[in-house]
Amino acid sequence: MNGASHRLVQVPPGVQCFLGDEARRRRRIEESVITVFEGWDYEEIIPPLFDYADVFASQALLPKTYSFVGRDGSLLALRPDFTSLLAKIAAGRLAGRPAPMRLYYSGEVLRYEPPRAGRQSELYQMGLEHLGGEARAADAEVLAIAAECLDVLGVRGFVLALGHVGVFGGLLAGASLDAATLERLRERVEAKDAAGVRDALPAGALPAAVAEALVRLTTLSGDTAVLGEAERALAFCAPARAAVGELRQVTEALRAAGLGDGLAIDLGEVRGLDYYTGLVFRAYAPGLGFEVGGGGRYDTLLARFGRPMPAVGFMLGLDRLALLLDRQGARPGSAAAVAEVVGGDGLGAGLQRAREKRAAGVRVRFEGRP
Amino acid sequence: MSLTIALSKGKLLAGTEDLFRRAGLPFPSSEGRRLVVPVDGLRFLLVKDMDVPTYVEHGVADCGVAGRDVLLELEPDVYEPVDLGFGRCRLVVARPRGASGVDGASTVRVATKYPRVASVHFLERGRSVEVVRLAGSVELAPGLGLADCIVDVVETGRTLEENGLEAVEEVAASSARLIVNRASYHARREEISGLVGALEKARRS
Repeated sequence: MNGASHRLVQVPPGVQCFLGDEARRRRRIEESVITVFEGWDYEEIIPPLFDYADVFASQALLPKTYSFVGRDGSLLALRPDFTSLLAKIAAGRLAGRPAPMRLYYSGEVLRYEPPRAGRQSELYQMGLEHLGGEARAADAEVLAIAAECLDVLGVRGFVLALGHVGVFGGLLAGASLDAATLERLRERVEAKDAAGVRDALPAGALPAAVAEALVRLTTLSGDTAVLGEAERALAFCAPARAAVGELRQVTEALRAAGLGDGLAIDLGEVRGLDYYTGLVFRAYAPGLGFEVGGGGRYDTLLARFGRPMPAVGFMLGLDRLALLLDRQGARPGSAAAVAEVVGGDGLGAGLQRAREKRAAGVRVRFEGRP
Repeated sequence: MSLTIALSKGKLLAGTEDLFRRAGLPFPSSEGRRLVVPVDGLRFLLVKDMDVPTYVEHGVADCGVAGRDVLLELEPDVYEPVDLGFGRCRLVVARPRGASGVDGASTVRVATKYPRVASVHFLERGRSVEVVRLAGSVELAPGLGLADCIVDVVETGRTLEENGLEAVEEVAASSARLIVNRASYHARREEISGLVGALEKARRS
């Protein structure tokens, strides 16, 4: 469609090019985050840029996935997400490796985004997956790592908002609602729109206590005191109460470990990616209107690949982190050292001098003349 | 830093002022042409109604007042904690009075300020649709042959009547909503819940 109508230097919408200070800053941020991941004994995986389309499990990402037909007729997709790829690798290539496995990644994902301000098609994500292992310990570990990453980067005032998909899911476990009604309810709970939740409730299809609890989810957010309120409000529903119990266990561990300040509870946080099965969280900080990252527990995803195993993970978006740090006035490693000009007459001799300087670790600019 | 609130300069402004005053909250005076107005610890942005969700979604404003009609069209990723109760209207499909109308045609031509809402409405009902996007005076379109019908908001229905149109289907009901940026909601919890509480109380009184 573009044909000859676009100029050759024109950039297609949704992609970015970074240079100079900006590129350097992104690299510094990535290094800092990876150092934290390595510090918690996570191992890097560099997965392929594309894979079979059916590897990517999220229905929600499907309309945003760039897929194409390979030469053999198979449907392929540019990775819209890392988690499914890492799950596949853990179940396949690493099938013989005992759990728990601690894996991390850093790279681009590609998502078709309609042309709209603030949405890029190419996103740089740094994240990790904790596969197998004791669930609450793994939940607490990944949250502690997320907090350390934000701390190390110098993000001020961040909040990790914790929810649990088992609250919403538990409340509706016995109900037979059609998919459209369920989606509408989920969407209105996520928007914290109490009036909208009431409107979306199908008349008579749910017990009054369940309906009232769904409306309550829109206001069950705040500091960890909300958990007590939630335990009372959801006491009648065992699976929802159990979900809140998990959150309590994890938040208490984090508080005891000195991470209480940056924690918030948001039981209306019910959306996330559709493979999440347990705790979910998002990281926010003043200065940026969007979350800088998030994650959650996905205990059923690995079974798709034939190695059932609980798992939890999170990712931080490099693009958003860079923007956030810029807005907060933190500019890690933005200045490059000034180079020393080396060269002069005689290519061989000049190059030799430059190599000596390099061996001493000096940043050089070679300006030799034959 | 004070909370920033994005307000529509359009038809919701009077209702917003009334509610804010009843809630004992500061509000910018109606004179003046400034678009960023600090008043007693709050900062107001006065923008076009279709732009309010954008300011709030990006966090340039912490909260805003927007019609549900606009939210349906733009689908911003924001919280909508309070139905403010004023600015009630309906989004409807309207067509020339007595026209055998949209049922027969294989493709519905619809003129609207709400292209997303309009196309989803017809597509979900198995109808092909051709959307003619207009910025205003949508009621003119069917009479001039630009479209078979319109999707627009109606309050009393008088404008429709004066232009020879009648509402044939309701798409959605609308009213003014308080919307809140997702990050602000968590990172500035106390200020936001103060505002939400004050507005809820005023609405009920």
